[in-house]
Amino acid sequence: MPPSERLPLEQVLEIVSALEAVVLRSFGPEGGQVLFTRDTGQAMLSRSGTCILSALHLEHPLARVVVESVWKHSRGTGDGSKTFILLLASLLRGISKATSRGPSASHAYGFTEAAKAAAAPYFANKLLELVSSDLDDLIAVNVVPYGFCVSLEDFTTHSGRLLLASFFHTRVSHVHCSYLSELTCEMLNRWKYKSDLPYISFQFLSDNFPALHTPVSGFPVSSSRLIEGQVIHRDFATPCLPSKQQPVKVVVFTDYMQPILLSTGDVLKLGYGGGVTPESSIVHFSAWTERSLESVIAELQSLGVSLLLSAVKQSDAAVALATQAHMSLVECVSEEELSLFVQLSGVTPVSRGCTIQLEHVAALSFCRPILLGGHRYVQVAFCESPKSSKVNPCSLVICGPGEGQTDQYICAIRDAVCMLMTTWEPKHTSETTASRGTLQSDKGTASLDMTPTFQSTANKPYGLKKCVFEPGCVIPAGGTFEFLLSRALPNPSSDTNGLPSVSQLLANALLSVPRQIYSHSPKLFLQAQTRIMSLVQNPSNPFSLGLKESTPGPMVDLGLESVTCKYQLILAVVQCATSVLRVDTVLHTRTALHTQSKKHTIFSRASTEDEAED
Amino acid sequence: MALNGDDEDYEWEPPTEAEMKVIQARRERQDKISRLMGDYLLKGYKMLGDCCDACGTILLQDRQQKNYCVSCQEMDSDIDKDNPALNAQAALSQVRERQLAAQTPEVNDGPSSSSSSSTQASGSVPQPRPEHCEGAAAGGRTPLPPPAVPPPSAPVPATPLPSARPPAPPQSSVFSPVLQDAEEAVLTKLRWATAQLQSSASLEASIQLCSLISSCANSLRSLKELSQ
Repeated sequence: MPPSERLPLEQVLEIVSALEAVVLRSFGPEGGQVLFTRDTGQAMLSRSGTCILSALHLEHPLARVVVESVWKHSRGTGDGSKTFILLLASLLRGISKATSRGPSASHAYGFTEAAKAAAAPYFANKLLELVSSDLDDLIAVNVVPYGFCVSLEDFTTHSGRLLLASFFHTRVSHVHCSYLSELTCEMLNRWKYKSDLPYISFQFLSDNFPALHTPVSGFPVSSSRLIEGQVIHRDFATPCLPSKQQPVKVVVFTDYMQPILLSTGDVLKLGYGGGVTPESSIVHFSAWTERSLESVIAELQSLGVSLLLSAVKQSDAAVALATQAHMSLVECVSEEELSLFVQLSGVTPVSRGCTIQLEHVAALSFCRPILLGGHRYVQVAFCESPKSSKVNPCSLVICGPGEGQTDQYICAIRDAVCMLMTTWEPKHTSETTASRGTLQSDKGTASLDMTPTFQSTANKPYGLKKCVFEPGCVIPAGGTFEFLLSRALPNPSSDTNGLPSVSQLLANALLSVPRQIYSHSPKLFLQAQTRIMSLVQNPSNPFSLGLKESTPGPMVDLGLESVTCKYQLILAVVQCATSVLRVDTVLHTRTALHTQSKKHTIFSRASTEDEAED
Repeated sequence: MALNGDDEDYEWEPPTEAEMKVIQARRERQDKISRLMGDYLLKGYKMLGDCCDACGTILLQDRQQKNYCVSCQEMDSDIDKDNPALNAQAALSQVRERQLAAQTPEVNDGPSSSSSSSTQASGSVPQPRPEHCEGAAAGGRTPLPPPAVPPPSAPVPATPLPSARPPAPPQSSVFSPVLQDAEEAVLTKLRWATAQLQSSASLEASIQLCSLISSCANSLRSLKELSQ
């Protein structure tokens, strides 16, 4: 019988406190960076909570559950992973204090052991009820009036820059904040769909980000820039480059041009069905394949194609024939880049066995090699067409002194786009699975005026999730949200059974966030709190918290943050706390595969899902 | 959920100050453990799924596959500081408690009020308080004349303590020689303690010597009051 152990609240708290201690020093705009090194010498520099926590060696199953929740939340909103852990730890501490009042918890307060053990999940369930039902109304009534909505026109001028700058403040060093936020703003501007929701363009960018950026190490950050068109991260396979005359015609191949003869394990049966004749031999077959290739190349020449993009590595014969025909060939283009190219150019890729027609040919304004860092890539720019006139495609080149820093900047920009996508998510409610719209580009009519039809794809990790705030709702950063919400949470005077109410627990936990932000100067915390409380009580000027302040104070410079991200953060934290507190037992099992490590399995009473950790 | 009844709520009292101190100390200890654990995690240690048998803290494992418990191996144990075998302070507290328990009947059966007051007055001086017992223990092996060689200030266990009890003050009815002797003894001790303090390098010893000096000063004051 494998040993099992009860999972006391103290142990849960210890684990989460250890994780909190890990991320605490990187928290906030004043936080520091963590440098991880591998034995291979590879270094990773990060201030992102998700990166730091994912890099730790954690074998305890509960720790892994927490880190996975953080990761899921970060993937959804792009921000708030360190705040997640901070809130979770304070919440658990509050619950622990509430369930063990008295110096020796066994006899005090009349709790039996079983009742004590059930107290923590009870609190968690009540908390989950509170946030699921009342939180959005509380925020909408008490917090949102002190912020404002940023419209798309404003975005590129001032407020958007401020929002991005305050985000980058928590991710990269403050020296590079403004430059990166300018760069990101410019990129977003170029990708704006003028008549559509900003959400669509943010989502497009977020989905295609791997294909839209190029990391270059060895240069200072200020060398980062935007490049027109798309960069295909492959070099030409043929020595000849496309002609400079416009337009450059391009065909995309997803399969081999020459029918592949024999791969390992294939059996070729010659002359089958027509009887074996003396002429049927491998020589005839290979001659046939060469003839078919020649016809393909001739077809391409007649259409005036000078650039071929291929998803696979073409045969040597194909490369040679293409060189002879003065066509450039780029092989092994990644799937994401090809799909982006197809979307932006409106072309249909040539698949196996189909003849090449006009719809397979696209026109580019230019195609040339570009040297970025130590690599030569292919840069393509798209012709102005009525369909694509709304968008000015551009690609981002991000430079950094070393690989670690470059990765850090890339992660920061990617998460910034994700955060913007969350902030501008349109207001609607969703039932069980998520409702993020996806851009379905049809093969035949790949167009850029994507209509906002929301097809439900299971994109979000959580069940019940509502987008209940106006798109673009932001609030001044620096703890404003937490102060306002903690004040707004109901504070019943008479506690039921003498236990503290869950809203009090949440309010106290929320205040730990600004306390940590101002941890280097507690005076500022009190100042900020007083300022906000006085503004709340004096409702004559509700926008005076914002940027239109006449008297500058420490709060004005702290920037903006998104209300939706904060709301989703609180939801995620409470859900994680509930799932963690519902765990009753950890069973240690041994599997044959992992002889050195034990396999831990968590079983929880209420939920039906089993989480098996490896 | 069955929380045991409201009638027992009335029995709950807020924790007293001592209990609050214990809670606070425990919380600080937990915070320190978390901080240490976080540091080790950042150094590349692995957080295991097991707990330490002795203290229940989560175990860490370093690169060499060695298990490591933060609280057992790095922090002073919560309970070890009360164990007399391991801690000199605890030992001295224990002795002091025993002495106080033994002396209370003695003082009550003491002689007449005048000499009892002098006993008390002079008795208050040589009664070694545990905090400066080390110094007294070290310095009080010989009676009244000051020790020639400054004794080592290393903490010693309970054995020299009985010898540290200075000789009982003379029970004579003569007032002034007694007071004079007492004053002299106190001054000697004061001088010795000052010399020790100047050369002391240890924090504990310095604290104890300072308290010895202050108690000597108090005793001198009370002796002067008596003589007036």
